[in-house]
Amino acid sequence: MLKLLIPTLMLIPTTWATPKKWLWPTTLAHSLIIALISLSWLKNMSETGWSYLNSYMATDSLSTPLLVLTCWLLPLMILASQNHTAHEPINRQRTYITLLISLQFFLILTFTATEILMFYIMFEATLIPTLIIITRWGNQTERLNAGTYFLFYTLAGSLPLLIALLLLQNSAGTLSLLTLQYATHPQLLTYADKLWWAGCLLAFMVKMPLYGVHLWLPKAHVEAPIAGSMVLAAVLLKLGGYGMMRMMPMLEPLTKELSYPFIILALWGVIMTGSICLRQADLKALIAYSSVSHMGLVVGGILVQTPWGFTGALILMIAHGLTSSALFCLANTNYERTHNRTMILARGLQMILPLMTTWWFIASLANLAFPPLPNLMGELIIITSLFNWSWWTLALTGAGTLITAAYSLHMFLTTQRSTVPTHIIALDPTHSREHLLMALHLLPLILLTLKPELIWGWTA
Amino acid sequence: MTYIVFLFLVGLVLGLIAVASNPSPYFAALGLVVVAGMGCGVLVGHGGSFLSLVLFLIYLGGMLVVFAYSAALAAEPYPETWGSRPVAFYMMVYLLGVVLVGWALWGGWYEGSWVSSDEMFEFSVVRGDVGGVAVMYSSGGGLLVIGAWVLLLTLFVVLELTRGLSRGALRAV
Amino acid sequence: MNPYILATLLFGLGLGTTITFASSHWLLAWMGLEINTLAILPLMARHHHPRAVEATTKYFLTQATAAATILFASTTNAWLTGQWDILQMAHPIPTNMVLLSLALKIGLAPMHSWLPEVLQGLDLTTGLILSTWQKLAPFALLLQIQPNTSILIFLGLTSTLVGGWGGLNQTQLRKILAYSSIAHLGWMLLILQFAPSLTLLALLMYIIMTSSLFLIFKLNQATNINTLATSWAKSPMLASIAPLLLLSLGGLPPLSGFMPKWLILQELTKQDLPLAATFAALTALLSLYFYLRLSYTMALTLSPNSPTGTTPWRLPHLQTTMPMTIFTALSLFMLPLTPATIVLLTF
Repeated sequence: MLKLLIPTLMLIPTTWATPKKWLWPTTLAHSLIIALISLSWLKNMSETGWSYLNSYMATDSLSTPLLVLTCWLLPLMILASQNHTAHEPINRQRTYITLLISLQFFLILTFTATEILMFYIMFEATLIPTLIIITRWGNQTERLNAGTYFLFYTLAGSLPLLIALLLLQNSAGTLSLLTLQYATHPQLLTYADKLWWAGCLLAFMVKMPLYGVHLWLPKAHVEAPIAGSMVLAAVLLKLGGYGMMRMMPMLEPLTKELSYPFIILALWGVIMTGSICLRQADLKALIAYSSVSHMGLVVGGILVQTPWGFTGALILMIAHGLTSSALFCLANTNYERTHNRTMILARGLQMILPLMTTWWFIASLANLAFPPLPNLMGELIIITSLFNWSWWTLALTGAGTLITAAYSLHMFLTTQRSTVPTHIIALDPTHSREHLLMALHLLPLILLTLKPELIWGWTA
Repeated sequence: MTYIVFLFLVGLVLGLIAVASNPSPYFAALGLVVVAGMGCGVLVGHGGSFLSLVLFLIYLGGMLVVFAYSAALAAEPYPETWGSRPVAFYMMVYLLGVVLVGWALWGGWYEGSWVSSDEMFEFSVVRGDVGGVAVMYSSGGGLLVIGAWVLLLTLFVVLELTRGLSRGALRAV
Repeated sequence: MNPYILATLLFGLGLGTTITFASSHWLLAWMGLEINTLAILPLMARHHHPRAVEATTKYFLTQATAAATILFASTTNAWLTGQWDILQMAHPIPTNMVLLSLALKIGLAPMHSWLPEVLQGLDLTTGLILSTWQKLAPFALLLQIQPNTSILIFLGLTSTLVGGWGGLNQTQLRKILAYSSIAHLGWMLLILQFAPSLTLLALLMYIIMTSSLFLIFKLNQATNINTLATSWAKSPMLASIAPLLLLSLGGLPPLSGFMPKWLILQELTKQDLPLAATFAALTALLSLYFYLRLSYTMALTLSPNSPTGTTPWRLPHLQTTMPMTIFTALSLFMLPLTPATIVLLTF
């Protein structure tokens, strides 16, 4: 574990000591090495499921894919931010990279924590770097509002979680994930226990975000700089799913009945946010709402509590992490050239940036769950497990899939096809940096189709 | 003796009412003097003659200063006395309050209130309050030192707050 | 002010608190409180500004009222039980009276309304003394009495609520700090009866965090949010650290401000008070809102400035920055030291 944590920490002094000219290449190379080393976690030999165990941290087949995704995201974020921070003073660039690195540090600790309270603290600790990234490096003044929404939605959900965790510790005597499942479960009969159930899950549902408490997400995505959007979509939302999966065994007898309204809300959210995407004019907001829609499926998959549901949720989380991050990067390449997010003002880019259109095409296909990408695998497994739970869900999930395809097509057609507006004639050509960025997003996604059991979680 | 102490107590209450009913400052100061005198009388009635003497001297000295100060500060042409309407109204209210409280507590207080501090003076050389002074100087010496220090500190504080005509914190606006 | 006088007054300030700490007798404790009050009055009115004088008067009146009530309560206690000892305050009436008067003395809601007004009238140094050192003596007494738990919880919850709510629409930094003080004191009172060492811990952390904030504001010469907006030009490094400090004051993990909140919530849930714990935790969000607003102005936006106004960082500071550095470092990174801090405060 430390062989990745210490290099991540040492990236911070590296950032501040590197000469100005070598700042971006050095941090990129260093973080890419960390990401490559992190791949070794995927080899899980242990019989108990837990490996790389020490007294506070461990990985298992649920957290490993998310950890690797986290480590993979840092070089991509650095790669993506290089252009838009180029005009800033060097110290501010260094601060920015430092924030990204600290975010990765906290995220590694979150995913590897074996103590739920440590998981909670690190979960909260990711708020501060993200908040600063959004509110300091965002572009419009609305970023302050977005930062407030982001912070207060998350905290209002997670403070009851803290209380609920402390109560769990009092009743079970431990909060260690390794031993908690063997602790005696108290009888959960009263209304207070039902509130406790809600307190345990609400924070993660806000973080996912579940439809109904999702309003912070489009704001944060739209206002954040590219690295903020990437890490939000790729990893921070997955914290919610990860936390829910970790909490589920502790909530055993209650979830079966109490999860009905939440499953329905999640599936209804798939339809609703998909419909919002269909009439969305703002490119980043479209991708953000598409995230909410996909996460609705993940919530549904987790709440039915079957092994298939969990597996599908994990597959979809990883696949969506790469896909939506790729889409945000693509949106950012447009934004850096046209300086607005409105799709109607940047049409017909196929004529100007033809190779970029290829990336748009692959990313859109991934977003609408095209075979054989892992996105499809995840969605199919979740839809199957939901269907197994109740036949009627097929109406919602089927319609959701259709709408997803429709808005992905809408996004692709509006940005890439039709004629070029007259006001965008002098655009930069694409940089090889941007192609590298897209390739590093989409190659893992494609390669995962060859060995999907890496992201199957507990089932594998 | 009981009747005299009783009269002192009545005077104490009346003096308090005279102060509390918010007349002009120097009438109130007069009321305070009355209260102090009556209170010391009550103390004498309970056997604390030395204590009451000390208290009366100190209190009267302080009161004289307050009296002179308030007389100088508030030289009103038409001061509010106890006869003016609002003050008289307050006095009535407070008197009513006293009567009510007295009526409510009438039963139980008579027994316990006449304990003299010199119940056992046959066995002691000095009176109780004089002995208390001695005890204060012997055992409470540290406390006295602190008390003296506080007096000095208060002097500094007052001087610092009122120092200078225009630069002091407290000044006539 | 004459330095000798200043030294005398500061000595008096220290003496008062020490006497209250050391006393087991109510009379002596009361004397300590009064010495404390007396000694800070000229410090408060040092600048002879009408607002400072007003603040001094308000402070004097409230503190004198509180001290008189304490004297009255302790005399009543002696009358009823024959005991002057602080630890043996057994009768409920004088105990709760003392509790309320101490609450008035440190400014707990609903006896809080003097605190923002008084703090707004002072300069930042005296304000720092008022919100740190002056809390110590009343807390030494609060830790020794055994008042009614429900009153304590009521005081604590109203204070966290009022402290969060009152600060929402303030633009003056000192008032915001006063409301933040009210909210933090509420947390301390909430846990007073269950785990006094946690009260001490919360007090210690509050003192550390608020000292660093006061010192930073003093260095920036900022007394309202508008002046805070130019602090990036005065000391860029501080301006980038200050948001973290403010979030620490708001109690966000992994900063040290989370430590007292976490432990207090844990103790409250152990005492079967999860509802009070949830309420207190959620009122902390109100406080967090205005801390967040301060950090938005201070570091997360760059306010426009005239070209000459962007270079004050070149000028040397006259203020000693060492205490500020230590306090700031402590108020950011003390969470991993939680076990050591608890051990330190349990004895």
